Amino acid sequence: MAPVKSQPSTPFASRELNGEVLLEELGDLRNAQVPQKLLSDLVVGLRDLEGVRVSEAAMRLKQLAANRFSATPSLASLLVRWAAKLKVEADVPLLISHFERLAITAAIVASVRRASDSLKGGGR
Amino acid sequence: MAFPVSEEATDQLAQWPQRARALFAELLDDAGSDLQREFIQRAVAAAHTPAEVHAFADELRGMSDEEAYEACTLNESAPEDYTVTQLLRAEADPLFAFELMGGRIEPNEDQHSSSGFIPPRRALDTIELEAVAPLDAVAAAVSKKKSSDSFEADSPGTRVKKLDWNDLPSNRPAPQKKDAGPSSSNGTRFLESLLAEATRGLAISWKEQDVDVPGGLTMADALASAAGALSRGIPVPCAVGPAPGDHRRFIVLMQLNTSGKNRAWQLYDPFSSELLWANEGDLLAKAELPFANKLNRRLTRIVLPQSLRSTF
Repeated sequence: MAPVKSQPSTPFASRELNGEVLLEELGDLRNAQVPQKLLSDLVVGLRDLEGVRVSEAAMRLKQLAANRFSATPSLASLLVRWAAKLKVEADVPLLISHFERLAITAAIVASVRRASDSLKGGGR
Repeated sequence: MAFPVSEEATDQLAQWPQRARALFAELLDDAGSDLQREFIQRAVAAAHTPAEVHAFADELRGMSDEEAYEACTLNESAPEDYTVTQLLRAEADPLFAFELMGGRIEPNEDQHSSSGFIPPRRALDTIELEAVAPLDAVAAAVSKKKSSDSFEADSPGTRVKKLDWNDLPSNRPAPQKKDAGPSSSNGTRFLESLLAEATRGLAISWKEQDVDVPGGLTMADALASAAGALSRGIPVPCAVGPAPGDHRRFIVLMQLNTSGKNRAWQLYDPFSSELLWANEGDLLAKAELPFANKLNRRLTRIVLPQSLRSTF
């Protein structure tokens, strides 16, 4: 019999996790001029969290914030905030996916801004 | 005759269109052996598209079990420069291994409509590929790369070069350039190269296609492809404008929400900062989009993530 999957906790079950919430975070990171490379590095680092227990995932997020991203306070604080929201196993893959979307959306938005001048009327 | 199907393959098949599921059953029926059937369903479980699975099954059908096993298994003869991650993935995905071993499939995406149907993956499990010395160093690398390893201990400066599918060994022919696809307005592709550059670290490539112009995608196909991308966690950039071929602004398809028979798409305009939901029926009907600027009334172009299966 297949194991019963746990339901994600509230912040991860929100319909706006990868909508409004993501865009707010993106705005903060953009204001802080966090480079795309760091977001890509973060995504790669978070893939190691796939399948680990909640407590270990939270601990490793905090370690990432304190070590790898300590020079980028906006990103470090984002990691620490999400680490505190991890409650059940189902939250971990959703958080990884959230940061992947965040990194990809950041790349898309930056590209779109650069490309918009090519459009009729300047694209704005 | 019904054949047993693994839980992973069943999960993927649940996402396939009805016609593609029927095709899968036929492919199992037509397969020459249990080994071939096992390879086919593993390819499904690895989230390959129906067209890819179809082409793979066609290739397998002409092989004996020994030949199929040889073609889909990496062994000591694995060519140089394959990465640890590629080797590990090849163990679970025979189609991936087949291609790594130099095999080629020619999926006919047109025949498999919802022509852009892409099976969803649980998460974007792309991997940063690190080039390692082959074989004798692979074992050392595997033993060194414990699950607790993270890139914290592996500063970017110490990493060996990243490897792309296109960097793979020389014993396989260079992939044929596909048809360049529909021309955009004045043949200009606005975003492909910028996006490819920006998402290189995430191993995503992109293809820009006009919507509802001759040679382009239909709106239904564009949305079907976008739905596949979103289900894998990849937002989809689009252009909007007053009429097909008239691109006025870029937006991003952020999410797809399904409630009963209704599907709603979340659209984001990075220039006006508008974030809104639009009913899929309205998108298909080319009804006016709910943006403040009414010139931006319909999707005119879509930029779809491509070749993911080849890049991780």
